[in-house]
Amino acid sequence: MNDVKFTIDHQSFGDVKLLKLQGYLDAHTAPHLESALGDLIQDGNHKIVVNFKELDYISSAGLGVFMVYIEDVRMTGGDIKLSEMKPKVFTVFDLLGFPMLFEIVEHDQIALSKFTA
Amino acid sequence: MVATIKPQTNQISARGNTADLEHIREFVKSQSNSAGFGETDAFQIALAVDEACSNLIRHSYNNDETREFVVTVEVANQQLIIKIMDNGVAFDPLSVPEPNMNEYFKKFKHGGLGVFLMRKVMTEISYQPALNTNSPNILTLTKHFI
Repeated sequence: MNDVKFTIDHQSFGDVKLLKLQGYLDAHTAPHLESALGDLIQDGNHKIVVNFKELDYISSAGLGVFMVYIEDVRMTGGDIKLSEMKPKVFTVFDLLGFPMLFEIVEHDQIALSKFTA
Repeated sequence: MVATIKPQTNQISARGNTADLEHIREFVKSQSNSAGFGETDAFQIALAVDEACSNLIRHSYNNDETREFVVTVEVANQQLIIKIMDNGVAFDPLSVPEPNMNEYFKKFKHGGLGVFLMRKVMTEISYQPALNTNSPNILTLTKHFI
């Protein structure tokens, strides 16, 4: 699926995959992210950082994507860490208590270093 | 088309297609800003409407883009009143029990948080199922000015 309203840029840092999101993550675009994360995990990648710097919007459909995969990656010793969220996007995570389950950090480098520590 | 909807000052029509969510959010956010709400409130009001419309498109209209619904916004008595009018199968979102988030995370559940978010950010929510085949279901989301 290609949607100009939402794009994902892929980068690798050793065995850590970094996904940079851009645009809107809603019920229309969430399947795109679900597919991208699913492909990564199916290929054996379980250390994932998702950068939100260029993401302007998220709804519960977007949050749900992370719930789909978090159990699988943690069972294999990995994690999905989230970084550089705009305050308005963080608020949506916070309203639902997601910071209880997900590690949300200020910069990619912090998330990357936690995987390599 | 949704039948017997009275003309409103500000309204937008949308299809049973999630591609229309962005236009709905832009409309609601712009209306909220014009009514005097700041960026944070306007963002959250648009989020609540997005959640309601996402549920409607997926679960009631089954992503059938030939079906339409209408979102109206009006300002009255120090409150912003948003109505989402559809002609699908009636479903009262208020019948959805509030999730226990500790349990939700413990069991790695996913989905089903849209109504919870709507309740978190709006002052009041009410639902009126269609009275007859010519009238729409009406979900009303209200935000009070502080």
